[in-house]
Amino acid sequence: MNAPQNVAAVAAALRETGAEARAGGTDLMARRREGIAGGPVTDLAGLVELRGVEWRADGSARIGALTTVAEVAADARLRAAYPALALTAAALATPQIRAVGTVGGNLLQRNRCAYFRSPLFDCHQSGGDTCPARAGDHANGTVVDLGSACVAPHPSSLAVALLAYAAEAEVAGQAKGTAGGGPRRPVADLYDGADSSRDHVLAPGELLTAVGLPAPAEGETAAYRRATSRSRAEWPLVEAVARVVWREGAVVDAAVAVGAVARTPLRLPEVEEALIGATGPEAAAGAVEGVVGRCAPLPRNGYKAALLRDTVRDVLERALAADQGI
Amino acid sequence: MTLNGAAAEASPGSDTTAAELVRDELGLTGTKVACGAGVCGACTLLVDGTPTASCLLPATALAGRTVTTVEGLAGPDGLHPVQRAFAAHDGMQCGYCTPGFVVEAAAFVDRHRAEHGDTRPSRAEIADALAGHLCRCGAYEGIYAAVAAACAGEHDTESPLPPPRAEAEEKVTGRARYTTDVRPEGCWEAVLVRSTRAHARVAAVDAGGAVHVDLLGADRTVRYVGQPLLAVAAPTPAEARAAAERVAVDYRDLPAALDPAAAHHAGAPVVYPTREAQNAAPSNNEGPPLPGRWRGNLRGPSGFGWRGGTAVRRVKDAAKRGDRRLVAEVFRTGPQVHTALEPHACVARWDEHGDLHLHTSTQAVVGVAEAAAKRWGLPRERVHVTAEHVGGGFGAKGGLRVEVVAAAELARAAGAPVRLVFDRAEELTDAGHRPGARVELGLLADAKGDLAALTMDAYNDGGMSTGGMVATLGLLMYGNAPRRLRDFDVLTNRPPGAPFRGPGGAQFHWALEQGVDMMAERLGEDPLALRRRWDGNRKRRALYDWAAALPVWAERTRGAGTGRFRRGVGVAAANWIYLTDPATVVDLVVEDGAVVARSAVQDIGTGSRSVITDVVRTELGLPADRVRVGVGRSGWSYAPGSNGSRTTASIGPAARDAARALREEVRRRAPGAVSGSGALDPEALKSLEGTQAGGRRRRDRGGYLTPVALPGMGAPGRGLTGAVHVMEVEVDTLLGQVRPLRCWAGISAGRMYNDRLARNQCEGGVVQGIGYALYEQRRDDPVTGAVLTTNLEDYRIPGIGDTPEITVHFHEEGWEHVVGGGVGIGEVSTIGVAAAVGNAVHDATGWRPREVPIRPDRLLEGIGLK
Repeated sequence: MNAPQNVAAVAAALRETGAEARAGGTDLMARRREGIAGGPVTDLAGLVELRGVEWRADGSARIGALTTVAEVAADARLRAAYPALALTAAALATPQIRAVGTVGGNLLQRNRCAYFRSPLFDCHQSGGDTCPARAGDHANGTVVDLGSACVAPHPSSLAVALLAYAAEAEVAGQAKGTAGGGPRRPVADLYDGADSSRDHVLAPGELLTAVGLPAPAEGETAAYRRATSRSRAEWPLVEAVARVVWREGAVVDAAVAVGAVARTPLRLPEVEEALIGATGPEAAAGAVEGVVGRCAPLPRNGYKAALLRDTVRDVLERALAADQGI
Repeated sequence: MTLNGAAAEASPGSDTTAAELVRDELGLTGTKVACGAGVCGACTLLVDGTPTASCLLPATALAGRTVTTVEGLAGPDGLHPVQRAFAAHDGMQCGYCTPGFVVEAAAFVDRHRAEHGDTRPSRAEIADALAGHLCRCGAYEGIYAAVAAACAGEHDTESPLPPPRAEAEEKVTGRARYTTDVRPEGCWEAVLVRSTRAHARVAAVDAGGAVHVDLLGADRTVRYVGQPLLAVAAPTPAEARAAAERVAVDYRDLPAALDPAAAHHAGAPVVYPTREAQNAAPSNNEGPPLPGRWRGNLRGPSGFGWRGGTAVRRVKDAAKRGDRRLVAEVFRTGPQVHTALEPHACVARWDEHGDLHLHTSTQAVVGVAEAAAKRWGLPRERVHVTAEHVGGGFGAKGGLRVEVVAAAELARAAGAPVRLVFDRAEELTDAGHRPGARVELGLLADAKGDLAALTMDAYNDGGMSTGGMVATLGLLMYGNAPRRLRDFDVLTNRPPGAPFRGPGGAQFHWALEQGVDMMAERLGEDPLALRRRWDGNRKRRALYDWAAALPVWAERTRGAGTGRFRRGVGVAAANWIYLTDPATVVDLVVEDGAVVARSAVQDIGTGSRSVITDVVRTELGLPADRVRVGVGRSGWSYAPGSNGSRTTASIGPAARDAARALREEVRRRAPGAVSGSGALDPEALKSLEGTQAGGRRRRDRGGYLTPVALPGMGAPGRGLTGAVHVMEVEVDTLLGQVRPLRCWAGISAGRMYNDRLARNQCEGGVVQGIGYALYEQRRDDPVTGAVLTTNLEDYRIPGIGDTPEITVHFHEEGWEHVVGGGVGIGEVSTIGVAAAVGNAVHDATGWRPREVPIRPDRLLEGIGLK
């Protein structure tokens, strides 16, 4: 193993070797120990230029892919400019994981399906051509169908928040023999909900280097919520981010994104539209009416449709009730 | 890197984790690896001052960093304040999670004091900071108290008082050595090869030339996914894993019974087709299994009762006439896994004389020695079992288990010491579990509201094991009304169960104590008043009176609440038996100016070392530094295993007897060394070197329930222990979460030998009961039978933030007939908790949960249907 020191060299090494890139290692090390990942590894630890937050002239932030989740959660300027992102970062995993887990690693981690993570099963994600969760236990499975045979929900919470900000991913390098997805693309385009074989679309040789956010909105309030059984440190059954922008006491713009319900994080445009003109939390209940209609539950996870609706309702009520002074 | 203040060099491989580097290469074994998945926090290190889970951290990431392990927390002025606080408030039990908690808490306390001065943080702030740590013993109340006190600056200097737990300092500094920390020179590593099939005959196994031992039974049949069929060993862990990969197994698949709801139907595949195979089925209970008839996969009924025919007739008649005073209900529970943070582990070595040396994580040091002697044909004294510290057991670490058998056989084959440690997936699959149950309850009251009949049929789901005893526990509750109690085992091709902290008790009380609540509702009577009336026992009536007087009970609002967040209060009672072991001996000797006790007893976190220490100190009036207690070696004086609520009730009186005998011996040799109050003069001990005395566990007044001690069990004592739990919860009816807010635990088990440790154990009982009620569920793949919850994020045990504020009340009177005045509390403190949660959820929402865990989806469905 070597740790090349610049982005171009790392991207070249990744393309050459087909190695998996290792940032904080919290997902990759677990998969290697579980025996479901092997092959070469390239450490990104030497890429100091991918760490930290850069503030651009228009007041917007560009967050290096190796910035830790804890740094995003604690950064005072990020908290003020992008409250939904900071709240999400603070709520995921545990303090020790946030301390080493990175923004890039969180966006590109593999899913948490027990079948995928078990050495006893083959599935679409591990080179097989079946989904044992469909016939088996899929209580935590997807409830919004994007055309994938795999039913593992996408695990990234930060992706949900970045979707709500329409953030952009910066990608260096290029996969062998492909045109690549280009150096800049919406974070949403890191994922393909119809693809059953992988959790992101970057090919070996492509390296996520940063996420860029648009200039912060004036008068934004935001909230993040996850439905869990324990109080802390638990993967969500459903998670939701809401940000609303106010002018003269009414909502003029809204972004609502949800996770743990589909193969990718999702925006809910119909809910967003219903919020325009809202003046307080009482608008939430009406805005979420259509959410259940989006859902196509599996035989044994029907509860998730109503839970999605109610988690969105909860996050909207909090965002709409939040102090508009922030 | 800089490690604990000194430069350290290492060149780890790419896949080496920081935890492996620190533990295995640098020998700093205070850092523990329990989950291996970044969930439990036992492996936490400070990296440049930031707490970091080292089990997922590449060791290469430590290059050039400043690293502090638990061994490096202490400064020039002694222990870190947080270490002192954990010791003083007993923020630990087995201690396996303690190094991780202490490292994280040290960083939190330092930061809190820098930002807020010496102030006490809220419980929520502490819970946020420690959210990445799990304590299976549930010592969270002590941890809250310790962290808050350290933040307030209460532990900046050494306390003049010894900590309540004798080995506290070893546990907070990482010095306490567990089996997983033992790695003798030249030690080989072993790996178990496990079945990938739920049911198959094994035609052939090719071990690929590895040093191995065959673990299959005589019928060469595997009966669950994960069953060990072979163990291999090699000089390094990587070589052992590779050797295990090379093993080729030729399976001849058999149809498998996987669904406990259908396994007893006609035509289901049969798990044990022959009498011979049936008799070889493992038991999930303590003691010999009750007799029971086999019909396919159904075994039973076994059980007891009195006037059973009357009970059944009364219940049937009541059902026919639609009697409202009949509660006929079905309750369900699923498999609950012990998952002690120290996994099952053994290091075995044969010495040049042919003696067998076993370090093992066990709750039965003598039991393992006796069984090993029998198995390998050795005199008992030539088997040397050591378990100095044991990282939790909860029932799953009794007897001669596969890790011991495999390690000892492989050590002989390899001619080297062999170490075998379960990983967390093995621990969550094949280390035992509390069997699930479907319980059919019939509870009938007569016109006066007295109990007229009790019927219970329990269908126990212990996978391919037998011995379920749930309904039978109806012997222990509510007087002598007619009752029929029947237990059945439903066999499936799933992993075997094991005794779990009150075997059968949690399932039984989940059903009965919710049924009693339903009866109270039907009769229009206060649920505490009804229980008080039905339970004639004076000691337990004192607990009901105590509970009824609690403001939370007296002032509670009746009926289901409204709005999104609804609060409710529930109560449940529980009874349990206790055992004593009359063969228990404690030996004392004066060595180096101190009184030294040595006992074979293991300390799995329940405080046996502290009980002996306290009794000897108190009886002989000696300061802490003049009493030393060694435990956990089979060559030391006999003590029972840690189960059946019998350890304290056995070793406590024996220690007192020994102390009194030693005092008499000292008086004989040096009359001036004994004061008028019976205290020994510490200074005189130097001249009494070698003075010894032994003590026995004397007979209780009135004897025992059985004329002689039962083999492997001990003597069941007279009288039942009792518990009354009052639980307050808040239910989020929108997202389905139940939050336990406050809990009161009233316990009647006589005098407590060590008050703080006893409270700690009862607090842990509440936490484990909450896990059972709300979170814990082993999930199996319905198609293959493979366990899916093979890590601690999918198998969810309670964290510190899930812990309610707990108040423990001991009613100590009524145990004067017992030598020492007190008995065990391990089981009675946990088995009723889940029912108290269930009753509280019903009080809050009007919906009656019938199945644990009360998951968000079940709750939302339930309150939606109502």
